[in-house]
Amino acid sequence: MRRFEYHKPETIKEALGLVTSLNNARFIAGGTDILVALRQKKAEIDNLISLRNIGELKGIEYGDGLWIGSGTTHTEILKSRVILEHYTALNDGVKNLGSRQIRNVATIGGNICNAAPSADTACPLLVLDAKVLIAGINGERWVDLDGFFLGPNKTVLDKHELVKGFSLPLFPKNTGSSYIKHTRRAAMDLPILGIAARITMDDGKEGATCREARIAMGVVAPRPIRAYETERFLVGKPLTEDVMEEAGNIAAREATPRDSIRGQAWYRKEMVKVLVGRAIKNAMERMGL
Amino acid sequence: MMRKEIRFRLNGEEMVCDVEAHWTLLYFLREIMGLTGTKEGCGYGECGACTVIIDNEAINACLYPIMEVEGKDVTTIEGLVSQNGELHPIQKAFIEEGAVQCGFCTPGMIMSAKALLDENKDPTEEEIKEAIAGNLCRCTGYVKIIDAIKTMGGGR
Amino acid sequence: MNGDVLSLVGKNIPKKDAPLKVTGQAQYIQDIKLPGMLWGKILYSRYPHGRILNIDTKRAERLPGVKAVLTGSTIPDIKIGFMKDNPPLKKGKVCSMRDEVAAVAATSPEVAQEAIELIDVEYEELPGVFDPVEAMKEGAPLIHEELKSNVLKLPWKLICGDVDRAKAESAYIVEDTYKTQWVTHCCLGTSGCIASFDVNNNLTMYSNTQIPSLAQRDYIDALNAFGLKNKRVRVVQSVIGGGFGSKLDTYPYEYIAILLALKTRRPVKILFTREEEFFATSPRQCTLTKISQGCDREGRLTFREMEMILDNGAYTSWGATTPSVMMMPISSLYKVPNVRYTAKCVYTNNNYSQAMRGYGNPQATFAIESSMDQLAEAAGMDPYEFRMKNANEPGEVTPQRFKITSCGMKECIEAVAEKLNWKEKRGRHNGRGVGMASLIHVGGGARVYKSDGCGTIIKIDDYGKVDVFTGSTDIGQGSDTVIAQIVAEVLGISIEDVNVINNDTDVCPWDVGVHASRTTFVAGNSALYAAEKIKAEILTIVSHMLGEDVAFLDIKNGVVYSKRDKEKSMPLGKALRSIHYATGGKMLMAECFYDPANENFDREFKGNLSVSYAYGAHGVEVEVDRKTGKVKILNYVAAHDVGRAINPMLLEGQIFGGGVMGLGYALGEEMVYINGVLKNGNFLDYKIPTAKDVPPIETIIVETVDKDGPFGAKGIGEPGLVPTAPAISNAIYDAVGVRIKDLPITPEKILKALKEKGAEKLDEA
Repeated sequence: MRRFEYHKPETIKEALGLVTSLNNARFIAGGTDILVALRQKKAEIDNLISLRNIGELKGIEYGDGLWIGSGTTHTEILKSRVILEHYTALNDGVKNLGSRQIRNVATIGGNICNAAPSADTACPLLVLDAKVLIAGINGERWVDLDGFFLGPNKTVLDKHELVKGFSLPLFPKNTGSSYIKHTRRAAMDLPILGIAARITMDDGKEGATCREARIAMGVVAPRPIRAYETERFLVGKPLTEDVMEEAGNIAAREATPRDSIRGQAWYRKEMVKVLVGRAIKNAMERMGL
Repeated sequence: MMRKEIRFRLNGEEMVCDVEAHWTLLYFLREIMGLTGTKEGCGYGECGACTVIIDNEAINACLYPIMEVEGKDVTTIEGLVSQNGELHPIQKAFIEEGAVQCGFCTPGMIMSAKALLDENKDPTEEEIKEAIAGNLCRCTGYVKIIDAIKTMGGGR
Repeated sequence: MNGDVLSLVGKNIPKKDAPLKVTGQAQYIQDIKLPGMLWGKILYSRYPHGRILNIDTKRAERLPGVKAVLTGSTIPDIKIGFMKDNPPLKKGKVCSMRDEVAAVAATSPEVAQEAIELIDVEYEELPGVFDPVEAMKEGAPLIHEELKSNVLKLPWKLICGDVDRAKAESAYIVEDTYKTQWVTHCCLGTSGCIASFDVNNNLTMYSNTQIPSLAQRDYIDALNAFGLKNKRVRVVQSVIGGGFGSKLDTYPYEYIAILLALKTRRPVKILFTREEEFFATSPRQCTLTKISQGCDREGRLTFREMEMILDNGAYTSWGATTPSVMMMPISSLYKVPNVRYTAKCVYTNNNYSQAMRGYGNPQATFAIESSMDQLAEAAGMDPYEFRMKNANEPGEVTPQRFKITSCGMKECIEAVAEKLNWKEKRGRHNGRGVGMASLIHVGGGARVYKSDGCGTIIKIDDYGKVDVFTGSTDIGQGSDTVIAQIVAEVLGISIEDVNVINNDTDVCPWDVGVHASRTTFVAGNSALYAAEKIKAEILTIVSHMLGEDVAFLDIKNGVVYSKRDKEKSMPLGKALRSIHYATGGKMLMAECFYDPANENFDREFKGNLSVSYAYGAHGVEVEVDRKTGKVKILNYVAAHDVGRAINPMLLEGQIFGGGVMGLGYALGEEMVYINGVLKNGNFLDYKIPTAKDVPPIETIIVETVDKDGPFGAKGIGEPGLVPTAPAISNAIYDAVGVRIKDLPITPEKILKALKEKGAEKLDEA
């Protein structure tokens, strides 16, 4: 393990001060990604600045929307009833992420800032219209999550900035969301493909049409992406088998997966076709339809 | 590098220790404290052999910075045996049910089981599997491990 | 045993070392440190094939804390392994990414690692060959130029009967090609050793080997080559964090530790990281198998013909000898009168292969049992009926001259069919299906070496407490407990009174190693006979003391007693003290070296390899998602003829553990090598099953009480994973009509096959 100094600020301000003043400094949240990178000598860091002891970064609040502090662990998210009931896709995403041991320390902020194409919270947050609150030495700024990711392990964050948390809107009553993580193994796995869906129907009855749709896909592009064309296609339609199948086909055209040892491109595309429909169905079921 | 002083509880005992900032908890336990019951199977949080309990939660000690232990309560496999040498009921169950083969995963497995049972006295089979999914075992096929944990609950 | 009621055999006795393991007190190689110990570290090759032009170790040598640096040209010339083709440190040429190029010893693992990174090696990269079929072609790069061919000079060939004639006379014939993949043992405890010399240059090796006696011999040979003649070598085994065949040989890192210890005059420990465990230990090789089988109109097998190509990798360990065990199912799984088998092991620039649990049997059985279902279909028979018709039976002598004694194969197949509800569930083709596969394995030793023996020494103290020194090794399977049960049963004492010492060549007798599912049978018999000897001696002396005919004496619950006269009895401890503290007294000890009456193969690879054979059948019900290709195991049944279950709980542990390892082999595990480079050497990408991947598994123990086994027991260490892959593959075929012929059976392969089948149907229409 490379030697480094370890700093434990207790406020955001202190953390930002440290990251600006220290050499080769990086933030560490749960550490489950960065400590692996350090051990593999993939990161050269002299100073780790821990975000674990900053109270401002923790917690889930529900009122005229949902606020999730970036330092909230996956276990804490999993225990939230509000998220299970109103932001189900996020519960889905967290449920099968890593192991219990990992979920107990890894944070949602870390998962998003690491910006892996396979990040299990990314697709759920994308369909849940999450906005990211970024804090820097010169103040705060809001970014849509979709505008946050730039590429594999790349985000709009300046190296002296940190993510404070995520804000999610309230959704109308006839809304349901879901995330499907397609894996080879039943646990401890990264997705071959991740598909999230959120559907708002114009009224709660069967045969009604889709008022708003969000589809997001992981591991089909250098970053988690929204399937905009698919979303537009779904709006105004009754969500029949045929419509869902066509949605899968459109989404597959929006996907540009690669071959990797974790899965082949053709298979990922095929799975987009299948799983978009299934994700929509799961979302609908949660609406009580 | 400067050594830093940290204070925490280890297996019920108050500790004041000088540590180096880049140490992991696993390194500290095994190499400094000589508590070799906690195993390193991979070093990347992918096998669970190094599982210990911190403030009631199972974590991978290989990915836990020693500096974050400050003020916390750490329990390792060595801390499960009572003062008079009595084994913890989970340890007994693992012995009685044949849940131990080569034993390398066993301490971590038991710590994951303990964290589960402390929170949920009568877990279902699914909950047990979920709780130990991060603890790889190559010998047992998990069946008797799951059985052992089951005997701890109401289904006994 | 005389029809007496058994008090310990057949009971679920907890594993003797479990208390140490559940408390974290068991000492694995990871946990052992010696005073003054240094840490060794190995530099591996940068290319899969290349010439070493220059190695500059100066920078490494200057690093504070570095005590020794070795390269191939600074060590004595030795070559290790089955074909003696593998120098511990390579000189002149590297032939795989795992090739050991240089090594250091330093005061800490961190310094050793830093030093390794300071060694500069100049290479000239050579074209490599990574596929055995390519490697056999004219003009392919040669791995070992001096051998002039990449095909190993191992004439694996078995011919029984007249295959050509049988072929011509068969009513139905099927032919196909099957492939299996590279997989690795994934012991949770990584490999490691500590080499330590005393002032007289005698070596103590702390190791997690599965073959202490053979390793001892290997090390002595090496010391001789290093100029240290007539030295003693002691092998002390730590608690072993998993074996599965991975530790059946001695490896370069062990010799490197010895050389570093010799050079530094200090103990040197080498401990593998998980990355090294993945890329620098020897895995189960991939195979390519052509098989054809035929049967007559009534469905009786007429012939079986198989040709196999095995990727040996760059050097040779026991992996190259797995065809000798593959011959067993090929010649003797079901009654098949005419058999022809050839196998070629081929050098490539991949990592070199080793045996793994099953020793070739899983690869061969995948082809055979998949083909059995194909042949049943061709003959218009139910695969269950077809198997029953051809099943082995007691008393048979197979074409390879195996003498089948106890055999519960039919009982196993029937039990599986019943538990799976075969008749009702077979042939629905609705996305759910059932499949089965059977197995034969050695169950009474396996004579693959000059001796298949195991020695036992028993001593008993003044209080009736027993120490058993056995040559056999416990790698977690529970031989410590099974041996204690056998000894305690014979001596009529409690299990707590038996201590088993099984980890030190200074005190334990010779044993060929923990392999071939032989330990319960061979070490068990050895312990049994030693215990009977000491018991006979006790009873003879006590018969004089009590004035009772020895024939009526026995020991139970620690008391020597007469079976016909209640008045005549004596506590065992008292008897032993009387024997000890008499004039000319003695402390009782007994020994036995048991070498089973099995045969080495003759030149035609025929002979009775094992004293008895283990049988079994696995059945599985699957559900296949036609849209994603994902397979869900709904139900798994494993029936095994074990002779007698000495400890049903530990025995089930072997079946569950083997079965789940087999599931990994069937559905997920694969070492992905691209041009000789391992791409998934970690637990995230090399997917061994987790607890959540385990389906409901039911075990059925069939007891046939083998006449030669200890209390009737046969081996069970390996059988659990042998039929798993073909059983699953057969079930998938029943569910959705596609047969996957190369392992692992991934969702991608199933979906691709389903799409191709769909396209075919459209074409037909």
